[in-house]
Amino acid sequence: MSSAPSPDLSALLPRDLVVELLALARAQGADFAEVYGEHTVTTAFSFEENRLKTSQYAVAQGVGVRAVARDQTGFAYADGFAPADLREAARVAARIARSGPPGGAPAAFRVADAPAPFALARPFPAALDETAKIALVRRANDAARALDPRVHEVSVTLGDSSKRFLVANSDGVWAEDGADLTRLSVAALALEGDVRQSGFAAGGGCVDADYFESVRTPETVAREAAHTAVTLLSAKEPEAGTYPVVVGPGWGGVMVHECFGHSMEGDTIRKNTSIRAVQMGQLVAARGVTIVDSGRVPFSRGSFRVDDEGTPSQRTVLVEDGILVGYLWDLLNARLTGHAPTGNGRRASYRDFPLCRMTNTYIEPGPHAPADLIASVARGLYCKSLGGGSVNPADGNFSFQVTEAWQIEGGRLTHPVRNATLTGNGNDAMLKIEAVANDLAIDGTTGSCGKDGQWKPVGVGQPTVKFTEITVGGTA
Amino acid sequence: MSAPHAAPAPPDLATLETLAAAAVERARRAGATHAEAIVGQSRAFTVRASGGAIESLKHSASRALGLRVIVDGAVGFVTGNDLSPAALDDLAARAVALARFSTPDEANQLPSDEETAGADDAPDLALYDPEVLALTPDTKIAWALELERVALGHDPRIRRTDGAMVSSRDGASALANSNGLVRSSAGTSVSMYVVPLADEGDGRQQTGVYGCARRWVKDLEAVEAVAREAARRAVARLGARRVPTARVPVVMHPDIAASWIGEMYDAFTGEAVLKKASWLTGRLGQRIAAPVVTLVDDGRLRAGLGSAAHDGEGVPTRRNVLVDRGTLAMFEYDTYHARRAGTRSTGNAVRGVGSVPGIGPHNLFVEPGAETPEAILARVDRGFYMDDQGSYGFNAVTGDYSFQAQGFWIEHGVKAFPVEGVTVAGTSLDMLARVVAVGNDLRWNSSIACPTLLIAEMTVSGA
Repeated sequence: MSSAPSPDLSALLPRDLVVELLALARAQGADFAEVYGEHTVTTAFSFEENRLKTSQYAVAQGVGVRAVARDQTGFAYADGFAPADLREAARVAARIARSGPPGGAPAAFRVADAPAPFALARPFPAALDETAKIALVRRANDAARALDPRVHEVSVTLGDSSKRFLVANSDGVWAEDGADLTRLSVAALALEGDVRQSGFAAGGGCVDADYFESVRTPETVAREAAHTAVTLLSAKEPEAGTYPVVVGPGWGGVMVHECFGHSMEGDTIRKNTSIRAVQMGQLVAARGVTIVDSGRVPFSRGSFRVDDEGTPSQRTVLVEDGILVGYLWDLLNARLTGHAPTGNGRRASYRDFPLCRMTNTYIEPGPHAPADLIASVARGLYCKSLGGGSVNPADGNFSFQVTEAWQIEGGRLTHPVRNATLTGNGNDAMLKIEAVANDLAIDGTTGSCGKDGQWKPVGVGQPTVKFTEITVGGTA
Repeated sequence: MSAPHAAPAPPDLATLETLAAAAVERARRAGATHAEAIVGQSRAFTVRASGGAIESLKHSASRALGLRVIVDGAVGFVTGNDLSPAALDDLAARAVALARFSTPDEANQLPSDEETAGADDAPDLALYDPEVLALTPDTKIAWALELERVALGHDPRIRRTDGAMVSSRDGASALANSNGLVRSSAGTSVSMYVVPLADEGDGRQQTGVYGCARRWVKDLEAVEAVAREAARRAVARLGARRVPTARVPVVMHPDIAASWIGEMYDAFTGEAVLKKASWLTGRLGQRIAAPVVTLVDDGRLRAGLGSAAHDGEGVPTRRNVLVDRGTLAMFEYDTYHARRAGTRSTGNAVRGVGSVPGIGPHNLFVEPGAETPEAILARVDRGFYMDDQGSYGFNAVTGDYSFQAQGFWIEHGVKAFPVEGVTVAGTSLDMLARVVAVGNDLRWNSSIACPTLLIAEMTVSGA
């Protein structure tokens, strides 16, 4: 059974209805109103214990209406597209304003015609049928188990989603777009006596049907996960203390996302809750470090043509050669501060109003060979892959779970290390970068970022990076 | 903002039950051997205040259906929020079609009538407070503004906040299955928090967070008390510094202890044990913790945020003692994993409308001890009091614990100075064995709670 064709949102939300909703949302004096309609289909296949445990399908649809009066937001939504429900949502959202004169609706809309950052010939979610998708899952399971007899259990999930949305606002913006995302994730458990360890790897992004043949095969993903699990069986506890740390390319960019990116989001800048609000033009990272947020990285799950407010995606330089040069802006915070929006207005679904969010955030490559960075460390830690990370943007405290690390002694990797946590303060972490290698990789396969309870797909990236010192948690 | 407010009507459980039962019937007609439907709806109002004014108001109202079918032992699952007859027919057909791709497994069963009997005998769990619906938007807006105003007025070094939030919610769900089971329930919750930011003009900010969540309006802490506690936390952190790496006793604030209990829970599930993915595999009946540790999951606490008369499959909830005075007493199960393990469901199928049932706790807590938190602190000559942490740092498979932490250095039984930029590490089995004191301060702000804990030794990693 193939997935149902996405409905034509502009038929469910005809222009005259959108105009009426925008006028209703501004009836009490709101400066700005917006209507966002969405239809999303999700499928998932979960393979565990050598069984295809569940096959799932979900469909969600509805419309969110936002009204903004100065810096105040009113928001309500309706499941589905019934005009009576949408009118009620618009009336509820409108109440944010205190009985001002009605704001009306735009006389005409400008349809967003921004170019797409890349094109998919056959988007994965709709192009493959269930049998083909399940075949990929089985291949991953088999490859992970075949890597080593100590691989005891493998969980594989193939999930994809196909979203279509329409957004129109009282400034005359009208945009229709969508996102087709795919993710194959593999978790492997290795056992040896009483010792158990796990490994995780993923593939996917905003990709075509042949991605798992031509770019990253299920076997590659599976072997990475299984290899990590088996490697960690002989890992030692990390040395507790503060010392040099080298972080590997790709997903390691989650550090710049957490430690730095969040403090550059326009809401925290406008409200002056971020330390970066007063640092424009100042040295905020080591010389030689350039940090970018771009919604246009090919095939990443953090990329799109227009954001969830209809603003075209762009490449925004945040830090150039260590100097803070730009912030990230959504429509509301850009308007209140007199900046131009940067295509960073994003929302988890029609049930949420947009927030200022990152897209794909990464450190540009530097001049060094990755091996030279490791060779320069007398005693330290090489973090091959990181897990989750978090930061409190107000005080800067951050931490990252390291999923696979190696001890560095005399410039060489000596043994694997488990259970390490990196911590520090984001205010100065980027100043502690000593060297940046030339092997930039952007991981757009698996990341999701949470903010105010909204989860959004993102990409992160960096080349191999050496920090002069980071505090490493451990028990040794 | 001033809006006319008529309290909305309470949820109509009969309508939800009818929808769920009709979805089961649709699935049977579409070819399901067994079927189980859950219909959930919720309404919420959230106000966020910042800078002395409303920042946002959000109204939510949603309803959705989840349908699990078993076709010849194989599972298909669908969910959707278009509940029109045509859409429900489409979902039922898709569920049955999807099941045919899944692997048949004889453990895929609905709970038997015998297993689901007894849920109706539950005492009144006091899950629904009509006063939550009667709260006007203006009241909630006033609370949010007061949270921020009191926090800002508490100390001149609190110059701004990262917002104050007040939220109210009511929800209801109905469960029906092809054994003829139909059950429904409704609940409310109301919560608030504020995040004051303190600084002494040196460009370094410190955060305080405090909040409160309850099912009943009358059980909420006073708005002013919540704001003052958050403000105290922010100011107390001013001047925080790092400490040298040391192995010392660690006192866990109830928030931190509860977080650890929540992280450990996965190891107590029958699923993790069956997969040998639990660090408690093979330890049933053994001593895994100090005798002062008794860990309980109780689905029947009156007005508990995690309480329910029945679980996500209709099995009655109960009080499960997972660790009895240090001994690992049991694991928790839903129906599928119980069948696999040759045991019975422990009433721990937990789910929303968007997922198949999984194993989860209801109200998970460590039984309180006799000592006050102050008495526990007084026992520590030199150590670390941990009251804030990063989000990631637990390995569910190994029980390894390594979290970024903030708190206070303890000297001679008192908090000497605030600390930040350190990590605290250990392994859960070692930490459980070294719990030397459990406080008497069990308080419920979520469905997972723990009193203050003193752990004899952990590694604090710093400068």
